[in-house]
Amino acid sequence: MTPRALFLLLTLVPLTTVADVDVADQSMQLTVKPVLCITDKRTPSCQMSFLIVWQSAQTGYYCLFSNFGEAPIRCWSNELSGHTTDERSVQNDFRYWMQKANSELQLAAVTVEVLRLDSDDRRRKRRRRHVWDIN
Amino acid sequence: MKLLVIVAFLLIVATQSGAAAELSAEKTTSTTPGKVPGAEQQATQESRWRLGFAFGYGLRTNPLVQSDDIPIVVDIDIGWFGDRFFFDNGDLGFTFADNDRVTASLVARVNSDRVFFRRTDTRFVSVDATGMPLSEAIQVEVPDRSFATELGVEILADGSWGQLQMTAHHDISGTHKGYELFVDYGYGWRNQRWYFEPSFGLSYKSEALNDYYWGVREDEANLALPAYVAGDGVNAHARLALSYHVNRHWTFLLVGEFERLNESAAASPIVDDRNVFGYFAGFGFRF
Repeated sequence: MTPRALFLLLTLVPLTTVADVDVADQSMQLTVKPVLCITDKRTPSCQMSFLIVWQSAQTGYYCLFSNFGEAPIRCWSNELSGHTTDERSVQNDFRYWMQKANSELQLAAVTVEVLRLDSDDRRRKRRRRHVWDIN
Repeated sequence: MKLLVIVAFLLIVATQSGAAAELSAEKTTSTTPGKVPGAEQQATQESRWRLGFAFGYGLRTNPLVQSDDIPIVVDIDIGWFGDRFFFDNGDLGFTFADNDRVTASLVARVNSDRVFFRRTDTRFVSVDATGMPLSEAIQVEVPDRSFATELGVEILADGSWGQLQMTAHHDISGTHKGYELFVDYGYGWRNQRWYFEPSFGLSYKSEALNDYYWGVREDEANLALPAYVAGDGVNAHARLALSYHVNRHWTFLLVGEFERLNESAAASPIVDDRNVFGYFAGFGFRF
């Protein structure tokens, strides 16, 4: 493998794994933007508007759920695709997923990562000798 | 080969700590539909390890005469932080006070001034220190200097006003027998994935420290490299860092650094440029 190919591989890997999609049903595609939210001491939670887009190969009665409640966020009847936005204030990772009505099976799910970058341990923010070293 | 061994070690350690983190993450996020984990706001344990590397391109200029700049292509970050003891890229520390305002530690480290002396060249010159021609060319080399082990106290403080680091270190290896006082202040701004942090500070170098690294002893001197005794002095430094978090692990980085050597060091015949510049652009990975 050439150094250029290795560089491309290393840089593309993180970009292609941003959305952690657990595909239970290959015919359902679920996309959420953004999938990463960053918090720190000054901003301990993320106030975000998430755009959720889904597309299925089969028309059906589908519902969107999240970890934040038992009730679906929204349902679509006899549709092949749909989208919605969801306003949230979050501090921890959570998931959105699609389900068919009257079924427990999750057709597709996306994890939204909440990354806390400020450590409570001050020693981790010492000025070190790495030129690149930043939070 | 050495780099491969280090990378292999990092991967083994990261795999183990990563597996532990995965287990922890599984506990906190795996829920059946209907549960409300986001509202419970579980606290996740921070790993004691901080492991990472960066690759890209960067450079640190070398202030010494007959010297090469220091390229930065790959850099490795290894840290371990216990309740009391910590290891941070070669620094060993013992934390004896930690409260809402400050964290104070005893820190053993290796002096950083020596880093410039490993990339010097030997040259033949035909003029003396005043520019007068010599009857025959003489060999000039930058004197070798050793690493010094230093022990000192480090105080860290932070708040909404920014972060402050103050250190006082003294040589315990009998190398330069001097000391250094250092202060650095930084303030960071974050806008989601973007982070910008300027910082600046000063470091006072004692006469013994400054003279050991930047002075020229009688037995090292010749017609082209006169003897020189350095006094104490204050270096100034500043840094600008910009980063963009691609995802949990990868970050794009742009960093620029500047350090101005103290007057006494700058006047040394082994110093060619008083200003030391550093920059780096690349990708950082944190396990």
